[in-house]
Amino acid sequence: MLATLALLTFSSLAEPRFPPPDFSETNHQLPITTTPAARAEWLQYLDVAVLAGCLGVAVWLIHKHRSRRGVFWLSLCSLAYFGFWRKGCICAIGAPQNIILGLCEAGYTVPLTVIAFFALPLIVALFAGRAFCAGVCPHGALQDLLIIKPLKVPAWLEHALGILPFIFLGFGLAFAATGTGFPICRYDPIVPIFRLNGPGLLIALAALTLLLGMFVGRPYCRFLCPYGALLKLAALASKWRVRVTPDVCTQCQLCANACPFGAMREPSPGTIAPKLLTPERRRLGWLVLLVPALIVGGAWLGGRLAVPVSRLNPTVELAERYLAQQKSPVNYGVMTPETLALQRAEHDPEALLKSAADLQQRFRRACLAFGGWVGLVLGVKLVSLSLRTLRTDFEPDRGACFACARCFRSCPQELVRIGQLPASELPSSASIATPVKA
Amino acid sequence: MTTSHAKAEPAGLEDGGKGSATPLSTAPEASEKPLPSLPSATAVQKAGTLSRTAWIAMAFCLLVCTYMLYQHSVAAERDPWKSPQLLALKEKLRVAPADEALRSEIRRLDLEFRERYFRRLALNVTGGWLLVAGVGALLLAAKAATRLTQPRPRPQRRTDAQSLALQAATRARWSVAGVGGAIGTGLLALAFTSQSPLPDPAGELNQALAGSQSNASDLPSLAEFQANWPRFRGLAGGGATSGDAGLNFDVTAGGNVVWKSSVPALGFNSPVVWSNRVFLSGGDAKQREVMCFDAGDGKLLWQRAVANVPGSPAVPPEIPDATGYAASTMATDGRRAFGLFANGDLAAFKFDGALAWAKNIGVPKNMYGHASSLAIWPGKLVVQMDQDEGAPGGSKLLAFDCATGRLLWDRTKPTHGSWASPIIIEAAGRLQIITLALPFVMSSSLADGNELWRAELMEGEITPSPIFAAGLVMAINPASKLFALRPDGAGDVTKSHLAWTVEESLPDITSPVSNGDLVFTVTTGGLLTCFDAKDGKMVWQKDLELEVQSSPAIVGHRLLVLNTKGEVVWVEAGREFKELSRAKMDDKFHASPAIANGHVYLRGATNLWCLGGKK
Repeated sequence: MLATLALLTFSSLAEPRFPPPDFSETNHQLPITTTPAARAEWLQYLDVAVLAGCLGVAVWLIHKHRSRRGVFWLSLCSLAYFGFWRKGCICAIGAPQNIILGLCEAGYTVPLTVIAFFALPLIVALFAGRAFCAGVCPHGALQDLLIIKPLKVPAWLEHALGILPFIFLGFGLAFAATGTGFPICRYDPIVPIFRLNGPGLLIALAALTLLLGMFVGRPYCRFLCPYGALLKLAALASKWRVRVTPDVCTQCQLCANACPFGAMREPSPGTIAPKLLTPERRRLGWLVLLVPALIVGGAWLGGRLAVPVSRLNPTVELAERYLAQQKSPVNYGVMTPETLALQRAEHDPEALLKSAADLQQRFRRACLAFGGWVGLVLGVKLVSLSLRTLRTDFEPDRGACFACARCFRSCPQELVRIGQLPASELPSSASIATPVKA
Repeated sequence: MTTSHAKAEPAGLEDGGKGSATPLSTAPEASEKPLPSLPSATAVQKAGTLSRTAWIAMAFCLLVCTYMLYQHSVAAERDPWKSPQLLALKEKLRVAPADEALRSEIRRLDLEFRERYFRRLALNVTGGWLLVAGVGALLLAAKAATRLTQPRPRPQRRTDAQSLALQAATRARWSVAGVGGAIGTGLLALAFTSQSPLPDPAGELNQALAGSQSNASDLPSLAEFQANWPRFRGLAGGGATSGDAGLNFDVTAGGNVVWKSSVPALGFNSPVVWSNRVFLSGGDAKQREVMCFDAGDGKLLWQRAVANVPGSPAVPPEIPDATGYAASTMATDGRRAFGLFANGDLAAFKFDGALAWAKNIGVPKNMYGHASSLAIWPGKLVVQMDQDEGAPGGSKLLAFDCATGRLLWDRTKPTHGSWASPIIIEAAGRLQIITLALPFVMSSSLADGNELWRAELMEGEITPSPIFAAGLVMAINPASKLFALRPDGAGDVTKSHLAWTVEESLPDITSPVSNGDLVFTVTTGGLLTCFDAKDGKMVWQKDLELEVQSSPAIVGHRLLVLNTKGEVVWVEAGREFKELSRAKMDDKFHASPAIANGHVYLRGATNLWCLGGKK
């Protein structure tokens, strides 16, 4: 969040733009500026069709064909189409912002394509997990290709950083709801790679993401992607979960080793000692009670953020400059774009101030909701870390698993099932039956 | 063993299924077979080659990156907008605007920089694709090398899984709390270090809005405006004042000059007076300034340059010497004095000389530039800006907030160039701005600038300003007609509201003056004519044998005419011609007189004069 705020202040580092040259002496007529024609409408439907097709193929590859190779080639195709050809737009990751703006602002109509891009991956996730992340999302596909030597992120760090996508999602939605802009899109560190262009700071971020992605599997997807947060929630309730093997788990741990994203979960370590149970329960109780307190505290803090965050809106910023100029002596120097904007604003300061005040009120409400959301995310995460999940086998975390299919063929049972390993190579039934003791 | 296992290895994952996968035998206690934990010598050799390839690819990427970064870093210097070299040359051009070689050099550099800019953009694209290729090669080689050298995983059974799980959960909770705390602290710091000047809209917005407007209670009343001489030819713009109690001139005795003060800057604008302050503006192509004199003793109280105004043209426009850079007479609202200059700078100074606000409203494309004087009404400053050239609809009427300089409204006019000054009248229940410009006499609402009525009666180069007397708007069609219009019409009133017209020898520069009963005009050649204000019939005519460029004024029952050679002539403002006095002063008068405080203020070519006398 803080990093995003900092980033937003560096927007002036964008590529320079030239003012038109002064040809008044030579009477040279400047050519009329032309804009390229709008993209053909049918191509939008093509985008949706490609998305739907890719999602269908991904589900089939993951759940039916169980092919990592297939997922790999599908992700390459998606990277080429949605990434380098469509240049990262349209994209499901930014679509929630359009949806929230459509809900909050009567004058904004959400395009059907955007609705499709927002809804289709989520619907698929409700049934088949994160098939979108596996082979359709160009962001994920690019990061997947980058992995050279993935390091295992410690579980505590994984959990701590895992809340960031939810917080970024909250910020992006709150900001978009004010009609100010779409920070999730604007500060996406992957899109400059697809476009081979972008503001300097974003290009630096993209380079950093690329570098990090060589040693940490899908860093953007795991620790920042706001749409991934939504997909994670949807995948938790998915009807068909991704399974390492449809057969019995030998608990060889090879699948956990094969997953570069830390999404494999170990079997539960048996029953907990009774003497530990009471403090565990007490802690859980306190944490449950803490959740509403965190929400209220977060909302209070969020409400206080309206002033600095609203300043990111150009209208509010202009109004503040206008008021500041009213109070301070005039000191004209070299003309700046802000000075010019201020002059233009002088046409109707009353409307400007009213508009800015309204916007600040919108920001107050949005930040209030955002603060409450941050509190909720923290509270629920803390509670979830105090809950015990009963698990008898190694299995992917429904929410965290990207369904990349890497683990499938690390499993000896799967190899036997597809005939790549003789059954005799499998451990004895006795060892299979023996649970891992604590 | 390794070979046999390699054959049995299932398809890999990230390599599309062609690479190696972990053999089952690596699972401890899952097989009694020996563990192939280390890669073979061939694999190591292959991995070495691949690693070298990866390093080469990385070096290539770094090279491309370095070159692109270098290009980016030098881009600012070559940016036509920021290039120090180009800026220095432009600065030189300001000093020597006629230097053609310099211009050519600037154009050459500008073109070169622009071409470089587009080459750099093309280079960025090429560099981007080179980077993609380099990174691709790097990834392929590095992944393959890693796959070959990576030791087989040997997961171990854990005997303390429960305590580890509890430990991990505790750590995770603390780390989540830590991240939450860090975010909270950051947001808290952000929240409590930011303040907005924007008020809570529910309670204080109106107050803020009021603060941004002129403070109405702070403004002088209309009566105070009328008592002073706040603009060209007084508040009504008619050049007449009824009070002359203190004006009993005895020119022959020479005792009427109260004071005389040297004016340090050239200008043809007339003095404006408010209480104990007299304001003038002056200047030339290099510097424009506003001067304030003490009305009591003529002392120059302050002199302020108008400079660095945003939007002001770097090179001042070329203005005829006969007009100068300070032709527009200033205006004052009793709190500030406003000056308009030929380069479009409009500045407001407080009475203590502090700049209140300044802006540039542009240079009109007409023969004389800004020559219309400013009009004022409590709270509003009106600028007439007519122009001949440029796009149709370039003529404008603008109103500014006196306190802040904020543009209140801006209306285009269907007129061409004019140098007459607007007047503001209260007639037919409306506050109207009367403007003269080719081809219309126009009335606009002071409230919003919208047109009220128009009459197509103007021709030629329009310099004399209109007046409002006897309930009629009177104006001169230069050198041909004097006419009067009733100001209660709407739309085109050319025929419907024309009260009377006379065709006589009429002025082409000076404006008429009226005491409500009679109207007087004086031509450049000094022909003074008196008309009846009711029907326009000529009452008398007299050649004063003067060269006159300043508009006449009426002070009580006397008419004041100044000539360009320093003569001051007083004539009885009655139905019969009677010259009261004539005196020669050591100056030249082009500006029109100002009458306030029982004194007459005259701007000569070199001096500011204050005339007065005993009762």
